[in-house]
Parts: sequence; structure tokens; C-alpha cells
Amino acid sequence: MDISHFQLMLAYAFLLSAYFAVLWRRERRNQLKLFAQIFIGLVGGGIVVAWAMYPFPSGPPAPFP
Amino acid sequence: MDSSRTEVSRVGEMASSPRLAVALALGWLIPGAGHLVLGKRKRAAAFFLIILATLVAGTMLDGELYRTVGAPLATLATLAAAGVGAPYFVLLHLLGYTGSLESAGYEYGKAFILTAGLMNILLLLDVFDIGRGRKT
Repeated sequence: MDISHFQLMLAYAFLLSAYFAVLWRRERRNQLKLFAQIFIGLVGGGIVVAWAMYPFPSGPPAPFP
Repeated sequence: MDSSRTEVSRVGEMASSPRLAVALALGWLIPGAGHLVLGKRKRAAAFFLIILATLVAGTMLDGELYRTVGAPLATLATLAAAGVGAPYFVLLHLLGYTGSLESAGYEYGKAFILTAGLMNILLLLDVFDIGRGRKT
């Protein structure tokens, strides 16, 4: 499966946001609002953490191809 | 009156104990089935689709399906993965799926698979709360 890390992060954030939006809210409008908040929080948070980690070395390569 | 007991406020209808037990058992076996038993059809369908999509994404990435019991962390991970219910056993025993260590998506897929199981376990708590009338 040829998919980038960022696309995987988007897919994961989408599924998790949808899950918690349906679990924690009952009205459609509130569900959409919570979905957007969680999705933006996860993706935005991931980008912020990635930027914060940028100066650090990435370490040795994984031991398998 | 016993003042040490706290009265839990009820916002919904209470399900009978046998019905709640069936909802919890089915809810574990098939994601969303617990909500279906309690009459929450739309939510049941949404949870079924979301959890199955998460699991399928994990298997498409060749993520690891935990199956070992022994080491504490591996046991917890196995319990988390098995939380998704029947699909876990179908994958493991009928399809012989275990994941592929050589695949680039091995670790990512593992996260998706574990998340699907944990989502379903959390869903059981929601079913319990709805059945007890604490949620609608």
C-alpha cells in the first residue's frame, strides 16, 4: 500500500474524530462541530509536534527493510 | 433513608438486566450491535462502519495482530486487539492473518488495529450507561 505518513495521519484523525463525535454528541450540528475540533486538534497538533522535533536527529535506520 | 448512597440522575430509559447483558455481549462480538439491541440504530450503524473501517485500514497496512499472552504489555495489547470481537477471531483463525513484519505499514497498521479494539471496548461502557439510563 503506497501511502504517505501524512495521509495515514489524516485517515487516523478522521476515523478517531468521527468515532468521538458520534460517541459524545447527539445532535448533528454538535457532532460536526466536535468532529472538526478533534480533527483539527489531532492534525494540527501532529504538525506542531513535527516542527518541534525538527532540530533533533532522527536516529539510526530501522533494522529491517 | 440511607444518606451514604448517591442517587444517580437518570436521563434515559433503563433496560432490563438480561437485555443489557445481551447488548453488552453482542456489542463486544459485533461492533455497534449493543447499540442496535438498545434501539440506537443510526449510532449502531455509524460505530459499525467506523470501527470496521479502522480495522480494515490496519489489516491493509499489514499491521500486527497481537495474539501472545505472557508478557504484561503483550497481554494487554492482545486484550485490546481482541476487544474488536468476532472480527479479531475471524482474522486470526479463519483468515490466518497475523500481519507482516517486512511491511512498511506494520507499526502503523498495528496502531489502527489496537485502536479499533479499544474503540469497541469504550463502546461497551457507552452501552452500559445507556442501558442503565445514565445516557440517551
